[in-house]
Amino acid sequence: MDSVKGYKCKNCGGGLEFDPASQKWKCDYCFSEFDKHEIETETPLEDSLEESMPELDSYHCTSCGAELIADSTTSATFCLYCRNHSIIKSRFSGKFKPKNLIPFKITKEQAEEIYKKWINKRIFAPKEFKKKEEIEKITGIYAPFWLFNCKGDGMISGEGTRTRTWTSGNYKYTQTKYYKVFRRGNAEYQKVPVDASKKLDDKFMHMIEPYNYNDLTDFSMKYMSGFMAEKYDVEASEAEGVMKARVGKYLEQRLKETVNGYSSFVTHEKKVSLSDIREEYSMLPIYLLNNKYKGKDHIFIVNGQTGKVVGDTPISRSRQFAFMGIVFVIVWVISVFGGAFFV
Amino acid sequence: MFKKINVLLIIFIFFITICQVNIISGELNNVKDYLDYLTDEEESALQEAIEAVKNDYNLDVVIVITDDTEGKSSMEFADDYYDDNGYGVGSDASGLLMLINMDQREVWISTTGKAIDIFTDSRIAEMIDHVISPLSEGNYFEASNTFIDDIKTYGEMGVPQGQFRVENEPYYKVTYFDKVLRLMKSFYVYLIALMISGIATLFVSLSSKGSVTIDNHTYEGKGSFVLSSSRDDFLRETTTKTRIQTDSGSGGSSSSVHSSSSGTTHGGGGGKF
Repeated sequence: MDSVKGYKCKNCGGGLEFDPASQKWKCDYCFSEFDKHEIETETPLEDSLEESMPELDSYHCTSCGAELIADSTTSATFCLYCRNHSIIKSRFSGKFKPKNLIPFKITKEQAEEIYKKWINKRIFAPKEFKKKEEIEKITGIYAPFWLFNCKGDGMISGEGTRTRTWTSGNYKYTQTKYYKVFRRGNAEYQKVPVDASKKLDDKFMHMIEPYNYNDLTDFSMKYMSGFMAEKYDVEASEAEGVMKARVGKYLEQRLKETVNGYSSFVTHEKKVSLSDIREEYSMLPIYLLNNKYKGKDHIFIVNGQTGKVVGDTPISRSRQFAFMGIVFVIVWVISVFGGAFFV
Repeated sequence: MFKKINVLLIIFIFFITICQVNIISGELNNVKDYLDYLTDEEESALQEAIEAVKNDYNLDVVIVITDDTEGKSSMEFADDYYDDNGYGVGSDASGLLMLINMDQREVWISTTGKAIDIFTDSRIAEMIDHVISPLSEGNYFEASNTFIDDIKTYGEMGVPQGQFRVENEPYYKVTYFDKVLRLMKSFYVYLIALMISGIATLFVSLSSKGSVTIDNHTYEGKGSFVLSSSRDDFLRETTTKTRIQTDSGSGGSSSSVHSSSSGTTHGGGGGKF
């Protein structure tokens, strides 16, 4: 059994890649298109990934035989020599078999366009970030996520006040009533995503949420074709801690929303407990551009399904000063020549 | 050679001017009756009374009777006459000038320095009331005496409590260019420009990242939230009362001020007779 998988065009034998625009598989060489049904009949034996496959020392491209250069967590990549996409099956097998995924909706071209728009708004970004060859480095990646389902039961208690003011004669009266407020409630939380890759910044991965789970489909390696993919290196138990903190806050806020009719409310006590925690291993699409500038990494991420953008750019001091100088001069001129009409 | 002559000429003209000013101020008389309505005896009596006021209250007093205000309004003429002829006591040139403008049949009292604060708008209005009836009867000596007596009365009373100055528009024409120049020198304009540019830069710098757009409802199962228990127990109540501050701003008496062409601040008021 091959340890590396590549999807081939049945017409010409070229590599097939998933095309987000048409949601079909396309051959780069003969422009043949196959839908999900066709590709499944073409490769009838969707290899069983249930069984764990041994991790090998090296993997070789199915097309040219060259060794694949990849990190230990990279599970789908391109051959450096022939650009043929390669899926390392062992990294999708056993406990690394994802339950489901959301296919890419945004094409690479769209992602580049989004980046261009975004970077042009960053007027303090250094020029290097706006170069064409820089923009082309943008990569579509299936990022590993843990999606948690759980039930939460929580309570909050605190003090609320209601104030009423009125005047009588020469005096203004302020009446303040104090109440002890108690709320308890429970809710179900579904598919709370937690970044399962150490390589990707948790903060940014949190910011590209939400994903629309209506597009969630069962995992199949064929979607990986044409994209990079990472396997998780954050265990579910570790991610659970992150999820618990988040859901705890959600439920607390939810309970607070039911405290109405008070002029002020201060929480004194809160408690949230979660039960029925179940996790699913999922692959969610992102476009990533990692820029190194003066030894520091700067990340740009587009949600591969919704197109939501997050990222940070370094700030060029000289651009900042130039901007401030220009604003200063403009404001000064407006206030002097415009203000003179009013003084 | 020409240069030397020129310099000498300038010095000569300069001296002549100085001397002329000296001559005017030398025979400085606080009663300027260009129309000879007052007899010499009356003039010296008034001058004497004025000297007394000057000593007792440190206020200069000038009475001008004329029918030629050089095309100026009564206010402008009164202010300029006072400034140009160097009247006034002390560094702020305190004093009053009563102009009897026969051309307009108008009387104007101009105040300067300390007098602005003592002679508030309401006091000036009263003084004008007092002099209008003798003036309309052509009794200029009586009007002048009333004027001086009123100065004594108010000079004794001093500055009323709660007195404040109200800045009026300067009556000399300030051009747009003047305003631009003034703003250019204004420290505040630089400060405001610096602040706005600083804030704008900060704002643009900070807006470079994305933001979290999910909230506590995003992952909550639809309709799964159940409020199982909810209690609001009354603990206690407090009531405070505060006295409503009555506005005391209207109680003070105001002195309206304006700047004359020389830039000196004057107060005052007038009326027709």
